[in-house]
Amino acid sequence: MSAPVLAERQPPPSAPAAPAPRSPRDRAAFRQALRRNLTAHGFLIGAVLCFSFFSWYPMVREFFLAFEKRENGATVWAGWSNFTYIFNDPAFWQAWRNTLLFTGLALLLGFAVPFVVALVLNEFRHGRGYLRLLVYLPVMLPPVASVLLFKYFYDPGYGLFNRVLGAVGLPEQQWLQSTDTAMLSVVIAATWMNMGGATLIYLAALQGVPGEQYEAAELDGAGILRKIWHVTIPQTRLVLSLMLLMQIIATTQVFVEPFLLTGGAGPEGATLTVVQLIYQYAFTFNNYGSAAALGLVLLVLLAAFSAAYVRLSRASEE
Amino acid sequence: MTTRTLISPAQLARPRGKFLYWTAFVLVVALFTLVFVGPLYWMVTSGLKSPQEFARTPPTLVPENAHPGNYADAWGVLDLARLLGNTLYYALGALAFQLVLDVAAAYSLSKLRPALGNIVLGAMLLTLMIPAAVLVVPQYLTVLDVPIVERNLVNSPWAIWLPSVTNAFNIFLLKRFFDSIPRELLDAAAIDGASPLRTLRSVVLPISRPVLGVVSIFAVVGVWKDFLWPMLTLPDPGKQTINVGIYSLAASVTENWLLAALAIASLPTLAIFLVFQRHIVSGLTAGSLKG
Amino acid sequence: MTRSGMIRPRDRRRHAAALASALALAALAACGTSSSDDGGGGGGDAVDAAEAAAPLDPAAKVSLTIDCMPPATEKAELRQWKEDVEKFNEKYPNVTIEGKQTDPCLEPPRFTAMLKAKSQPDVFYTYFTDLQQVLDNDGATDISAYVNDRTVPALKDMDPGVLDVLKRDGKLYGLPCSNYTMGLLINRPLFEKAGLDPDRPPATWPEVRAAAKRIAALGDGTAGFGEYSAGNNGGWHYTATTYGLGGDIVDERGTGAAFDDARGRRILDNLKAMRWDDDSMGRTQLLKWGDLQKQMAAGKLGMFLAAPDDITYMVQNLGAKYEDYGMAPIPGQRATLFGGNDYMIKKGISSDKVKAAVAWITFKFLTPGKGQFDWARTKADGLPVGLPQPAFWTGATKSADDKARAASSTMPVANFRAFTAHPVQGRHEPPKAQEIYKVLDTVMSAVLTNEDADTGKLLDTARRQVDQILANQ
Repeated sequence: MSAPVLAERQPPPSAPAAPAPRSPRDRAAFRQALRRNLTAHGFLIGAVLCFSFFSWYPMVREFFLAFEKRENGATVWAGWSNFTYIFNDPAFWQAWRNTLLFTGLALLLGFAVPFVVALVLNEFRHGRGYLRLLVYLPVMLPPVASVLLFKYFYDPGYGLFNRVLGAVGLPEQQWLQSTDTAMLSVVIAATWMNMGGATLIYLAALQGVPGEQYEAAELDGAGILRKIWHVTIPQTRLVLSLMLLMQIIATTQVFVEPFLLTGGAGPEGATLTVVQLIYQYAFTFNNYGSAAALGLVLLVLLAAFSAAYVRLSRASEE
Repeated sequence: MTTRTLISPAQLARPRGKFLYWTAFVLVVALFTLVFVGPLYWMVTSGLKSPQEFARTPPTLVPENAHPGNYADAWGVLDLARLLGNTLYYALGALAFQLVLDVAAAYSLSKLRPALGNIVLGAMLLTLMIPAAVLVVPQYLTVLDVPIVERNLVNSPWAIWLPSVTNAFNIFLLKRFFDSIPRELLDAAAIDGASPLRTLRSVVLPISRPVLGVVSIFAVVGVWKDFLWPMLTLPDPGKQTINVGIYSLAASVTENWLLAALAIASLPTLAIFLVFQRHIVSGLTAGSLKG
Repeated sequence: MTRSGMIRPRDRRRHAAALASALALAALAACGTSSSDDGGGGGGDAVDAAEAAAPLDPAAKVSLTIDCMPPATEKAELRQWKEDVEKFNEKYPNVTIEGKQTDPCLEPPRFTAMLKAKSQPDVFYTYFTDLQQVLDNDGATDISAYVNDRTVPALKDMDPGVLDVLKRDGKLYGLPCSNYTMGLLINRPLFEKAGLDPDRPPATWPEVRAAAKRIAALGDGTAGFGEYSAGNNGGWHYTATTYGLGGDIVDERGTGAAFDDARGRRILDNLKAMRWDDDSMGRTQLLKWGDLQKQMAAGKLGMFLAAPDDITYMVQNLGAKYEDYGMAPIPGQRATLFGGNDYMIKKGISSDKVKAAVAWITFKFLTPGKGQFDWARTKADGLPVGLPQPAFWTGATKSADDKARAASSTMPVANFRAFTAHPVQGRHEPPKAQEIYKVLDTVMSAVLTNEDADTGKLLDTARRQVDQILANQ
């Protein structure tokens, strides 16, 4: 949700490993540096151990897993067979199509809606705290609660949404139970659950837009849309582009919402996403090798995308 | 609110502008209340209904016969006290570990500057680049059999606490805050003969309250909201978190009880939010903007 | 979360429902003991066959850990377990049974973790479908040499199909404690309300369809027939339905799909007709295990394919009453899917331990009229008697057990007569079951959520995908 800032300027380390000490003074300095380093590493060691066991080691393990398989109780080198397995799995391509669809819809809704909401809220001089609170409310709910609520709303039989549609004379929908609307329904629920964070960040960014620029634009006779296009968006561009990247990375990894809403695959596999598939490989089929292979594919694609994105957005800034 | 925004104050001051403003305002407030509070209202009131009333078409807006007993039943049947207690235990433990280990690490990286500190920081930040979903499988296998110490952490709170420390984002936030503390302050303490630990305790931490608050809230809420990881690592029903527990029992209780249980389960984080609203908002935006 | 285990999440500790009072060891004792094994033998597989075939020497001092002991909340079951240990110790005073209360008995992630870490107890509880996973982790002893008519006296009357599931390449890796075959579960009050005779439940799919239509006509959101289509459960039931009609999912050589034929299309067309033409399957789909039980316990569902202990689940968790339900054999009756649970023995433990384990499992779970099959005692303890499960006896043992069950029944067993009077041949799951179920889930969800689904095309696609899965090993 909250976007980490990637570039950070680091002061040079003030304690380079000292050269071999010669004079007594050098030796004292060396000892002091050593003690300081020991203390510093002492402070660091707890976190480093946790990272080693639960982050760095699994990162390395992920890579090896992708090239291993279990055979008669032993782990053996699998070569590329885990990869051929996933590429030959028809669900692989479907999962990627679904994930792209989810990401696309999530950008239309999950990216645009919070920005528009922030724009609107930013105009109000009253009740802003209340509205901001409302938008962020779902973020604080346990995801199981939000998702099960939507499951009830979406039910084509007794669900609230169809009753509302029926009451205003619109045709009822199948929501999660149709290949046409299943993914959209998941995205709507996910947007409701998660838009609060992005909205607050945009709101903060909008506060930073200098008012004079609007005035200048008005002198040129600009209407609201043109002001948004020529002032608001360029002024908030950094945040927008960072959020866009974060959102794409996050939505490609969607798991909880489809898992809880449709039991994973949905109608004809319409909500099976890549991470669902990883989960299935690992925890339904006990095929950790293929799960790791698919994980690597996801990792490589996301890394390539992020790199390209950062380059492109740099290029367009110049 | 004096900042100039999209619509000019002059336009707003006109009678027509005022009218439009207030119309839009009322509409937006009504719509947002409906969209964001409506589902919660539905959840709470459905939890009060009898199964027959819950199933009625069209639904009743206000329960005809409120059955507060549903909440007591849900509390008992789903053993919510235990689920909530478990979750609180995991969340507070994770908080303690993060506050101690992450703060110490950030302090060390920011102020004590050990050799190779930059490489360590870089390696930590690198983990932010790896999609969490990719790491779930090897992390799970690691928890099954932690190398070197050869322990199986499944069904033990350590499976939540220790990995929670690997929160590079929190370390980054803390480090940046510590970076902004003037050197002179620490030097003064050092001249007085204070050890680094003492300096941390009596100089750094007191002025770091805001960032500690933000980190704490994220630590607690993170554990509270997590689903996949606790589902994998805490399968024992006696040890499940509130999310996983309700999910696994959802099929075996009636709808009104389930909704009552969901309402109860939603309370703690909502309460945290209402109390610490400002911290959360500032924390969210602090992390992302000042890059 | 749908491993085979999760499909039947409550299929647990039912086998612990009853226990004998009497001298179950008479038969064992009669065999005498010729064992001279001093308990040193390391690793069951290495022991010589004649040695292994002999029952446990009562003098042997052995301590056994075993999971799935009833939890404290199940007072009667736990008391019975303890009494049984005492009885067992009369014959084998030197065997210590250390029960572990794992509740539920098997939780797939925990099970996986346990196998990976090799931390299973000496005797561990599994589902039939877990064999491959256990072998992949090299977790179980080959007990073929230890199991014979002397060590397991009732062996000759045990359904060979049940033992076959626990074999791989001719080697036996477990002993069953309970099993089930799938049939048609009916809601008797709804049948009566719809003017149908609950004592003559539908036997064919056209009859199911007709009955479903009449039940759905009761209105008020009532569905006649319910079916799964999510979490791999849909594929699981499609398999059962295919077996019922005499079909197969995978061909005999295990290399290709066998369901893409006229029979397969008939199954789907029938479901489609019920769902869309008759509107007798309710509007909510993408259901999985637990959903249909909930609907039926709420009196909103007439029929679905189920195992007998789904009724126990509904009674214990959803406030249903035993007398409201009846069972019929699966429509078609050519064969049906079966499943169950068993105990396996950890690899690498001493041969005396293996013998003690076989003796204890036999004592508690595999002795007709005793142990879990002492129905009089179960009734006296206020536990339900009368469900047609476990059902692994054949021949004379079966008739005797059926009689004993009926004599002590706590529920109207006549409701299950259609099911028990015509036992249908049980068959196990296809190879690569979960992967195939996932493909078939797609087919089921298509038929139940898409009015225009092309059943022929769906089966064709599914066949190609299953062929791929089978080739891709």
